[in-house]
Amino acid sequence: MSDSDTALREDFLVLENVEQHFDLGRALLTRESKGVVKAVDGISLTIREGEILGIVGESGCGKTTLSRTIMQLIRPTSGRIFLEGKELSALSDADIRAERINFQMIFQDPYASLNPRLTVFTTISEAIRTRHPDVRGEALRGRVIELLRTVGLNPAQMNRYPHEFSGGQRQRVAIARALAPEPKLVIADEPVSALDVSIQSQILNLLKRLSREMGLTMIFVSHDLSVVRYIADRIAVMYRGRIIELGRAETIVDDPRHIYTKALMSAIPQPDPRAERTRERILLEDEPPGADKSPGKDVEDDLEEVTPGHLVSTRPFERRVKEAEAPAQ
Amino acid sequence: MPLLDVRNLTTSFHLRSGVVRAAQNISLQLDRGETLGIVGESGSGKSVTCYSIMRLIPQPPGRIESGEVLFDGQDLLQVSEAQMRDIRGTKISMIFQDPMTSLNPYLRISTQMIEAIRVHEKMDEKQALSKAITALEEVGIPDAASRVRSYPHEFSGGMRQRVMIAIALINDPDLLIADEPTTALDVTVQAQVLDIIKERQQRLGTAVILVTHDLGVVAGTCDKVQVMYAGQVVESGAVDQIFYEPQHAYTQSLQKAIPSLGEKNEALYTITGTPPDLAKPISGCAFYPRCPYPKIKGEEGDPPQLVERADGHCVRECGHCDRSKPIESVLAQEVTEAAE
Repeated sequence: MSDSDTALREDFLVLENVEQHFDLGRALLTRESKGVVKAVDGISLTIREGEILGIVGESGCGKTTLSRTIMQLIRPTSGRIFLEGKELSALSDADIRAERINFQMIFQDPYASLNPRLTVFTTISEAIRTRHPDVRGEALRGRVIELLRTVGLNPAQMNRYPHEFSGGQRQRVAIARALAPEPKLVIADEPVSALDVSIQSQILNLLKRLSREMGLTMIFVSHDLSVVRYIADRIAVMYRGRIIELGRAETIVDDPRHIYTKALMSAIPQPDPRAERTRERILLEDEPPGADKSPGKDVEDDLEEVTPGHLVSTRPFERRVKEAEAPAQ
Repeated sequence: MPLLDVRNLTTSFHLRSGVVRAAQNISLQLDRGETLGIVGESGSGKSVTCYSIMRLIPQPPGRIESGEVLFDGQDLLQVSEAQMRDIRGTKISMIFQDPMTSLNPYLRISTQMIEAIRVHEKMDEKQALSKAITALEEVGIPDAASRVRSYPHEFSGGMRQRVMIAIALINDPDLLIADEPTTALDVTVQAQVLDIIKERQQRLGTAVILVTHDLGVVAGTCDKVQVMYAGQVVESGAVDQIFYEPQHAYTQSLQKAIPSLGEKNEALYTITGTPPDLAKPISGCAFYPRCPYPKIKGEEGDPPQLVERADGHCVRECGHCDRSKPIESVLAQEVTEAAE
């Protein structure tokens, strides 16, 4: 990716042909291989420092696996990953743990990602002290209060437990915890899909401001294209473990080239009743059964640059368009 | 006579820390075949309203203080618990947000569906099973005859939500209450799920209450909209009235806060502050502290009343803010405030 921005490191995070395959094992009697799920199937990417990269795609497309692979929560099957020139995929498990302070994740499900037996104060102060082990007492309390305010929570509630909060509030606690160790890279996996619009806009503004002021680099995984378009500098559209379209956020949303991207875009309801009554939908036929598990032939580097910085997959796409359909009203 | 006529429904929770007025004086009407959208942020009383209609409020600490829920002319708040059990599932059904937690992970889909059918209908297991399979086919689950034997974890999120819809609609209810039915789903799956609900509604004339915070979904699905804030209805009307002539400052703020596909501004409009604590009595307008309009009078005063205008558009107007100024005039300052 060439961009004129030179002040920040261009090759902050580099992925080289990263693959993450899950072997399904062998059948009990015949010992035949049940196949391999190629959750991430050859992804190469370069992310600039301070950039927000949006990853969109349906569930099962590999976006979550990709983000977990980048953080080395699962080691890639093949390919290399560099953060600031340091090869993460070559580090030992112990070194990775020390490195992980630099990347934090905001998970999809705040119900599962917060410890139900810790108060919000304990959760956040623990996260702060991973980077600043010496902060305690009033200073620690002050930081927790500040973080809670930034994410729109009432600091008076900091001695409560996660179950006492609503889903939206819980996600804000999770975001505060992710921001607490001042990470270099934040992977946000659907961080706002469960939030109210009013809170959502606060969180989006907050994340954008943090990326600007702290030089925070972020991978923002979401299925909501309007949110990704707003927050991201570039968008990568994933389908079955591969990137099928990549480019500037506005370009991808306003001028999608791949039929899959177009279909995805057409499924988004607009907050405009009149536009909704005439919204054209592009429906794709279901994919051929078993296609996701078949070994398939590797096609090298299949992204073609249609306009500068806008890459579209040239692989044959096996799903045909059903008829274009206006919504039932 | 409307199918559902809720009048001045008030539900509170009596906690040790005080009385939380979760839903105050809620009124709504719904005809057969109509869809009502309830929007508002978490804690605004959307779900409490629905649970009160279903009489699913845990009592104690909850208590339905007053009001009437006239369903087909019968006040649901007066019927016995046994009668209510009979109404739930046959006449009124509910779909919940998270299909993961509302299906029992230990039981096959077939077991759960057969149970739902046989609670309400005298039927042997075989008949119930074939009814379950038909219901699954109707919501577009391929190969339903064999998939019905699966466990919930073998289904994707969208499939699970379709199973929930199939269970909810299996007895052809007159009213379907869907509490954030598509929030956890992909946009493509969301479109499919909404299509299934719409299709059933057109075919059988089911009335639908759709609780959501996604204004896009509301625009595409609902006939009427009710905007809730702090346990009160602040605005209600036809979908076009709410979207094109929003009157209440809260409705206007909500719409401005959506990142639209059209523009990519520097900062999104945000509603500053947090919703009021419902355990404390609210004097005056509940939205006053967060209102984006210039304030001309103090907070104190009588709580504004919900006033119905000639065209059916209801608004809870307060005279404490200068509504003549455009909302943008305070936008820049609000945004920097929020950023601090």
